[in-house]
Amino acid sequence: MKGFINRIIENSFIDGPGNRMAIFMQGCNMACLYCHNPETQRMCNLCMVCVDNCPQGALQQANGKIEYDKTKCIMCDRCLEACKNFSSPKYIEMESDELLKIILDNEIFLDGITFSGGECTLQIDFILEVIEKVKNKTSLTAFIDTNGFTDQESLDKLVKCVDGFMLDIKALNDKVHKKLTGVSNKPILENLEFLSKTGLLYEVRYVLVEGFNDSIEDVKEISYLIKNLNDYTRLVLIPFRPFGVKTELSKLPPYSKEKYNILYNEAIKILEDRVIEKG
Amino acid sequence: MNVFEIISNTNIDYKEKKHLLAQAAENTLSYVNLSVKTEKHLKKGILCDIFEGHAPYRPRYILPDYEKYMENGSQYLGIEPPNDLYDAVNALMVIYQFVPSITGYPVYVGQLDYILEKYIDTVSENEARKLIKMLLINIEKTLPDAFVHMNIGPKETKAGRIILEIERELKKAVPNISLKYSKQETSNEFAKLAAEVALEIGKPYFVNHEEIKNILGENYGVASCYNTLKIGGGSYTLVRLNLKKAALEAKDYNDFIEKVLPNVVDSLCEVINARAKFIVEEAKFFETSFLSKEGLIDINNFTSMAGIFGLYECIEVLTGLKLGHDEEAIKYADEILSKIKFVIDSIEGYGCYGTDGKIGFHAQSGIDSDIDVTAGVRIKIGSEPSIYNQIKTEGALHKYFNTGVSDIYVFDKTAKTNIDGVLKIVDAAMKSGIKVFAMNTSDSELIRITGYLVKRSDVEKYNRGEALREDTVKLGAESIKNNKTLDRRVREVE
Repeated sequence: MKGFINRIIENSFIDGPGNRMAIFMQGCNMACLYCHNPETQRMCNLCMVCVDNCPQGALQQANGKIEYDKTKCIMCDRCLEACKNFSSPKYIEMESDELLKIILDNEIFLDGITFSGGECTLQIDFILEVIEKVKNKTSLTAFIDTNGFTDQESLDKLVKCVDGFMLDIKALNDKVHKKLTGVSNKPILENLEFLSKTGLLYEVRYVLVEGFNDSIEDVKEISYLIKNLNDYTRLVLIPFRPFGVKTELSKLPPYSKEKYNILYNEAIKILEDRVIEKG
Repeated sequence: MNVFEIISNTNIDYKEKKHLLAQAAENTLSYVNLSVKTEKHLKKGILCDIFEGHAPYRPRYILPDYEKYMENGSQYLGIEPPNDLYDAVNALMVIYQFVPSITGYPVYVGQLDYILEKYIDTVSENEARKLIKMLLINIEKTLPDAFVHMNIGPKETKAGRIILEIERELKKAVPNISLKYSKQETSNEFAKLAAEVALEIGKPYFVNHEEIKNILGENYGVASCYNTLKIGGGSYTLVRLNLKKAALEAKDYNDFIEKVLPNVVDSLCEVINARAKFIVEEAKFFETSFLSKEGLIDINNFTSMAGIFGLYECIEVLTGLKLGHDEEAIKYADEILSKIKFVIDSIEGYGCYGTDGKIGFHAQSGIDSDIDVTAGVRIKIGSEPSIYNQIKTEGALHKYFNTGVSDIYVFDKTAKTNIDGVLKIVDAAMKSGIKVFAMNTSDSELIRITGYLVKRSDVEKYNRGEALREDTVKLGAESIKNNKTLDRRVREVE
């Protein structure tokens, strides 16, 4: 089976425990205002704007898709900037066996693999196939980084074969959530409860965005939610960064370090060492 | 620099001037006897003796058997065997002043954790900490040279822990530290502490203990920059072959392998043997040194080192292939290194009793004046492939070297939050054959230049023309300019 992959980061220290290969899948079912890799959100619609904007001639239309010549690319990212469709001409279609080979070639360096995105559960069948093959051949662990906006059936399948989940909570206030992501947080909070009970909810990630979800009350609320959920899930507080952002939030400055420290300390009071700082 | 230029230079201090003046005096003698073809190779820069001087009067690197010294004391120094940690620290501080080397400072200050551990319970923990701190500060102040090198491990000890904790606090470039690391012998906690400290201050580096033990036996030390040599021994000299320049002499790849390479390696060995012979027979080093008379060194543990560098460019010049990127390049790398090793092993190494009568093979990690030529068998700075490919490529080449080979891997700051992940990579590197794994973070105040460290702030001071205590700062500052040291690929994680 084939999957659409935006990119593979071979060495990641921040996508789960130990050293991991992070596989970023193409396509998402949200459109977060602060998304810092918006080029992972949609599939290409062949509008050709990127081809016209590539100064190196590395892109051209052929065989009903955009062909990308890696050797000509200078990584200037103009194609990504120009794309109005929140997509990328560089994502690739890959057979599960091709991905498996990359993983196996580097097995000794890895503790595991992590599927991220985009929203990786949108390609659930591909992910399951790769995980099954990896588990058959190695002792690597498999983690899922998800926005939680997914159905019960997918989660049921995943909990049977993965070793952990990292789930984003964008906001607890549903109005704010809708404003930030375009969707309600209700199914996400239900999935949070569900995953917590499976013992596999390794981490919850919460991005602090000035004026949206970053009051002391907001941080206390998410901290208490995690504390009352179980005794093992970590909460990672992530400061907003404007790099890559394509919406009106791109004009927002990077989240203030001072403010971050205040909120982080509030979270520590509630969650102690279960709250993780991210600079 | 001529004598007047040395004396009137405002960029170097008194001690360094004295060292340079001694070198100038040595160089008034003619160079050790060489054949005409070998002199030509030296003149062309195909061979480089790293400014060791015309008439060597002491081995380049000496690794005294400090454990023996602690057991017996020294008649020459009038030092009794220590009874407690006070005596032990004092005894060490004394002997360091009497250990010669090419730099004038001891390049090996011993397996300090094991040496001090024997006395650690003679005082309270607080005193032990204070005494070890005093020793480390003393080394940094009296031996201000980043080639001064200490070893710890593989086993965890109280002293080893204290050393790492204090070094983390002091954040100094001197002394350099190697951790002899073994998955079997080093506890996970100690390895984690060492990795944490390394990501913060660029040291210790992780030495593949199992691999090196198999080559040199348990009784080895790491001195100066990545030189693995027998304790109680050392290396008379290190002369290096610039493979890029050698490649430029060849008509094509075959000419290089069949004619040029055997010829220049033969010359390399000739320079090395002539220098070693001079030290033993003319300077009569072993007849004059108290280290030798008291059995702290033994000629039977000595060797010489044949270094190479510029393998990356050599392959590029001859084949157009890029090591680490083009799969085929590794075949050429293998063939070139096998050939060099074959020629070295076919020649008797003068006084190389420590390595079975053959000259040791060393991947030289570069000097400040190297421009457009890559250290040892490393991949060109800035052109490094993914970290896994880099490790796999270089790991396959490290097997050829018995007296030192290494690389430096620069992580971004996220590594500090995931030490288990970092150790996973270190372990995989060891399994892949990497012999010395040095790590650094891109935001570290201490920058690893080749094998040694310098402080970023000291480099700035040097560039402003201030005279500095550490002689290696000027080498580091020049190296940053010439070798693009700061452009090493950072393993960025998003």
